[in-house]
Amino acid sequence: MMDQNQPKNYLVESILVTIFCCLPFGIVGIVFASQVNSKFSSGDYHGAQEASENAKKWMKWGLFSGIAIILLYAIVIFAIGGLAIMGFGNDY
Amino acid sequence: MNLKTMGFLLLGISVAILYFFVNPSDVNFFPKCPLYVTTGIYCPGCGSQRATHQLLQFNLFGVLQQNVLYFLGILVLGYHGIITGLNAYFKKNIYNYIYHPKTPIIILVIIIIYWVLRNIPYYPFTILAPN
Repeated sequence: MMDQNQPKNYLVESILVTIFCCLPFGIVGIVFASQVNSKFSSGDYHGAQEASENAKKWMKWGLFSGIAIILLYAIVIFAIGGLAIMGFGNDY
Repeated sequence: MNLKTMGFLLLGISVAILYFFVNPSDVNFFPKCPLYVTTGIYCPGCGSQRATHQLLQFNLFGVLQQNVLYFLGILVLGYHGIITGLNAYFKKNIYNYIYHPKTPIIILVIIIIYWVLRNIPYYPFTILAPN
C-alpha cells in the first residue's frame, strides 16, 4: 500500500476533538478526513492534499476552542472561587 | 526531546494526576459540557472526564458506564498507534484502516447514531447516557 504518500487525514485527532470538547469542529474534521481518504483512493492527490489541510484547520480550531473554553471556565471559577470551594463534595 | 514535547508531556502527566485523584462526579469545578449546560442534551462526548477518571483507576466497566464512545475512541487510538509504531520501527507495511475510504464515514455514522440514542430517556438507552 502507499500509505506514505497519502496526506495525513487527521481522523484520530478529529475523533479526539469530538469526544473531548468540540463536537462541531470534530465532525467537520471527520468529514474532511473521509474526503482525504476517498479522494486519494480515486487518484485525486491534490484534492486529498486540500482536504487534509482543511481537516487540520478544523481540528486545530476545535483544539483551540477547547483550550479557550477551559481557560474561560477557569477564569470564571477563580472569579467566584468561594462558590467552587463550598460546592466541593456536595454529592456526599 | 525538545522543549515543546517536554511541555506537553508535563501537561499530560499533571492532567492525568489530577484526573486520577479527583472524581469529576464529586466536585463541580471541572468544566461542564457547554451543550449539556445550555440545552440539556448530551453530546457524544459527555461523560469523558468521568470516563478518564475511571480509566486511570483501571475501572473499565466505569468507563463504559460513562461513555461507550470514549472506549471505542481509545481502541481506535490504540490501533492507530500500534500500526504506526510497527510500521515505523520494524519497517513493516501493514495496512492501516484509518486510511480506508470508508472508515471516516462509518465512524461519523456511529457517532451520530450514538448521539441520538443516548438522548432517548427510556430504559435500554439510558445506559448510554453518563451518570
